[in-house]
Amino acid sequence: MFAYFKEYFDFKVFFVTLGLVAVGLLSVYSATYDAGAGLIFQRQLMWAGIGFVGMLAAAILPLKTIHRMAFPAYVVSLLVLLALLVIGKTVSGSRSWLGVAGLGGQPSEFAKVAAVLAFAAFLSRSTTLISDPKHLFAAITLIVIPMGLVLVQPDLGTSVVFLAVILPVLYWVGADHFSLAAILSPLLVAAGALFGTSFFVASVIVSAVLLYVSRKNRFIAAMAFAVTLAVGLSVQFVFERMPSYQQKRIMTFLNPEADPLGSGYNVLQAKVAIGSGGMFGKGYLKGTQTQLNFIPEQWTDFIFCVPGEEFGFLGASIVLVLFGALLLRGLTVGSASKNKFASIAAVGITSVFATHLLINVGMSMGLMPVIGIPLPFLSYGGSALLANMVMSGLLMNFWANRKEY
Amino acid sequence: MSTVVHHQDDIGALPRRRALRVAVFAILGLLVFRLYQLQMFYNIELGRKSTENTLRAIVREPLRGYVFDRKGHLVVDVGPSYSVTITPAEYDPRSLPILSSILGMDTGAIKERVQKGIAYSRFSPTRIKRDISFTALSDLEEHLYLLPGLDYQVDSKRYYPTKAHASHLLGYCKEISDAQLARLSDYYKLGDLIGSSGLEASYEVMLRGQKGYEFLAVNARGKVIGSFEDGRNDISPQEGFDLILSLDAGLQAFAESLMTNYRGALVAIDPSTGGILSLVSKPDFDPSIFSGVTPVEEWTRLNTDTTKPLFNRATMTRYPPGSTYKMVLAAAALEEGIIDEKFRYTCYGAYRYGNRTFKDLSVHGSVNVVEAIQRSCNVFFYQLIHRVGFEKWTEYGRRFGFGQLTGADIGEETQGLLPSADYFDRVYGKGRWTQGYLVSLAIGQGELGVSPLQMAVYAAALANGGTVQQPHAVQMIRNKFTNRIEEFQQHTRPVGLSATNLALIREGMQRVVNAPRGTGRAARIPDIVAAGKTGTAENPHGEDHSWFVGFAPFEQPSIAIAVMLENAGSGGAKAAPIAGLVMEKYIHGAIKRYRYTPRLTPLVQADTVKVITEAR
Repeated sequence: MFAYFKEYFDFKVFFVTLGLVAVGLLSVYSATYDAGAGLIFQRQLMWAGIGFVGMLAAAILPLKTIHRMAFPAYVVSLLVLLALLVIGKTVSGSRSWLGVAGLGGQPSEFAKVAAVLAFAAFLSRSTTLISDPKHLFAAITLIVIPMGLVLVQPDLGTSVVFLAVILPVLYWVGADHFSLAAILSPLLVAAGALFGTSFFVASVIVSAVLLYVSRKNRFIAAMAFAVTLAVGLSVQFVFERMPSYQQKRIMTFLNPEADPLGSGYNVLQAKVAIGSGGMFGKGYLKGTQTQLNFIPEQWTDFIFCVPGEEFGFLGASIVLVLFGALLLRGLTVGSASKNKFASIAAVGITSVFATHLLINVGMSMGLMPVIGIPLPFLSYGGSALLANMVMSGLLMNFWANRKEY
Repeated sequence: MSTVVHHQDDIGALPRRRALRVAVFAILGLLVFRLYQLQMFYNIELGRKSTENTLRAIVREPLRGYVFDRKGHLVVDVGPSYSVTITPAEYDPRSLPILSSILGMDTGAIKERVQKGIAYSRFSPTRIKRDISFTALSDLEEHLYLLPGLDYQVDSKRYYPTKAHASHLLGYCKEISDAQLARLSDYYKLGDLIGSSGLEASYEVMLRGQKGYEFLAVNARGKVIGSFEDGRNDISPQEGFDLILSLDAGLQAFAESLMTNYRGALVAIDPSTGGILSLVSKPDFDPSIFSGVTPVEEWTRLNTDTTKPLFNRATMTRYPPGSTYKMVLAAAALEEGIIDEKFRYTCYGAYRYGNRTFKDLSVHGSVNVVEAIQRSCNVFFYQLIHRVGFEKWTEYGRRFGFGQLTGADIGEETQGLLPSADYFDRVYGKGRWTQGYLVSLAIGQGELGVSPLQMAVYAAALANGGTVQQPHAVQMIRNKFTNRIEEFQQHTRPVGLSATNLALIREGMQRVVNAPRGTGRAARIPDIVAAGKTGTAENPHGEDHSWFVGFAPFEQPSIAIAVMLENAGSGGAKAAPIAGLVMEKYIHGAIKRYRYTPRLTPLVQADTVKVITEAR
């Protein structure tokens, strides 16, 4: 009996997820310890319970049902995002909370899951040919629509996560190098254009090299380069014609040091918090930076500072190793699945986790711009916790059904 | 991996599987390396910072933007003022009595401020009192060693260098309220100033600039021991954008002085652009009352004054316009082809409709539309509204911008009330109102409500050949972020009048001012042909409201004006001379006549002389 259970129950994902949630609860408790915000901890605890149920539900649903539900869920998530733009309440500057029967919720968290599943469902169809540019374009559009809706909220961080799913998944399904380069280079050049002239020039050169190296047909490569240049130039053109307050908003996204709220201040304090942790940390609930509230809103975007300061290099490394185990396991699940949909979705979910990890932890340590996306399982936020645990449950599901075509 | 399977196609091909695995290791490697770097390598330095030092972010307030008038005169200036701040974490409650005596502030008020500051952050300074005097400042400096956590910072304060108040147009700033703070806490902090009326409010985001931050290293006892990382992380504040107004400050001061002792409003507009040349609402107040700390007594006095000086009569009142509204009906009748210039009607001094008699001021005899406007014949318009019909009358009112917001950039305004058949059905019930209600509307009486601003837009549309302009006080904005001057782009909309019909109406208006039997002869200007229309609106609250709308010069109008004086009497006697003087001052730059019109009260005459000499 146990052997059978062992064969189909993914202990690794299960325990790694619970381990991360546990560290998250400890960290949220510590970050809100003195602010008398027991309420925040209790809410997070409640959501962890709901998330646990969601994770198990996602793990035991028949794989076919999930596959069938992918498109309807995707359409519903688009409608909710649209509705959000019309009626959403504004929380810290962007309209991403939806008041449903008094419960706050961030639909973009669920839209992420739905978009990944729909993307996988589309790419796994036997009629989809990844070598056909039309199909490739359709697949990318699937991601770009919800991304755009999230971007206008405006929530740059979450929209970056959407974009970051595209390349690894297409790579996984076997897109040729030229297609990947052709997708990457406009993004690269658009980003470069916003950062400034020298970045723009550098990104154009990198794109040109990428396209040249991966080219199959000189004419198509030249076309792709022309499109890339056009995108880059139009970004500047559009940017210069935007009203100044919008320009400023974008500049703040890209260069948080210019943010009057002082994201720069946050990063400095976060660096001091993590750096002062040393090898073993200052001890639980003893971190001076954390306990004296030096880092505003630490329980959301800068939660990584808590293990960093209070548990030191040892504790923070354990958190990173847990994430590493989860990511590698996600790739293993993708490799093991005979079902194309499950295989692609597993890699999509892994990409989502990887992007969140890289940007969030990188931003706490001053490696990445502060674009405000949460650290999965650790950051405070009910809908994010539920969505992330459901994604873990999906990985468990794909593992259990790995032999099913 | 024992679990490796092979798909029929390329999904998860082995090399790609390996590459993604390498990417995961690369991400983890990068993060662990950086963690190692921060925690093991920079640990000593960063650890020292966290245990011995605290980092403090000091806000550097930006200078609020300047405001200039159309001639480049500075209308709203900024200068420094000193604010006292407390950092709650370092503050010692035992110093409360000294602090209270230096600042002349109640101890309870100080405690409340500190409590609110703690709610935000215990480690950043929070403002306790704004705009303290120099004596208080030097007192504070002297006792600073007794007052831990106390500091002062430089804020900006408004100054008004011109003689014009323009208080309702410019508006004022106030300390941010708790409700606003809850909504806007991503930029504002407790004790910040925020534009709360007029241009200060509607252009708040542009005027305010961006706060700067200075990062200071502070030791455990709260002493600043120097800048953090040599100020490399500091952010300098960015000055607010400057506004360049279409307002003429000299004209504004002159108009304000003419309106002394009246309750009412005056709006003058450049008819070719919609730019507001002058906007007066009387009684007004001195905007510098609000520039620093507003004493509670002053605030209560302004708020409880029965003449409501804070109320913007130019944009917020909705009174019936009286006969000044007759051109709307004339336009509807001409444009719909119901009458033409040859159409005549004989006025016997009264008009019977149903069993009611509507009187006119005199027996005008046979008049055409031009003469009807010139002599303000009520009977002509009484009969006309039944030919035109309610629907068309409402439609032309709407075309001239009545019953809707003008879209002016100066904040609050009323859309007024332009009744329609639907409206009467709603209010009185279907079939429970009669066509008799229309008769009063024909002469701008009854349930018709307009603001002086709407009337000025209407006058401007008649002046400029039939275009409704969005009125605006700001002409240009100096964007200090892009270093460019941005022009205000007003919306425009044609009324839809043919040139011949408009010419007839304008001819009538010209005769109002210049012809021997015109009702607005008091608005006559030497050397210039002006045009206009008087209005005397009956109302249940006492004397009639006095109205005048007009423009000048007749051929190439450069100014359109609306004047409304509450309970002042007839339009021809009270509003018209003021309008004439303001238009003359704008066109000539000065008043050329030796005797001001005899109908001005002696007090206003004296004031006029004074302003003219000052303006020269």
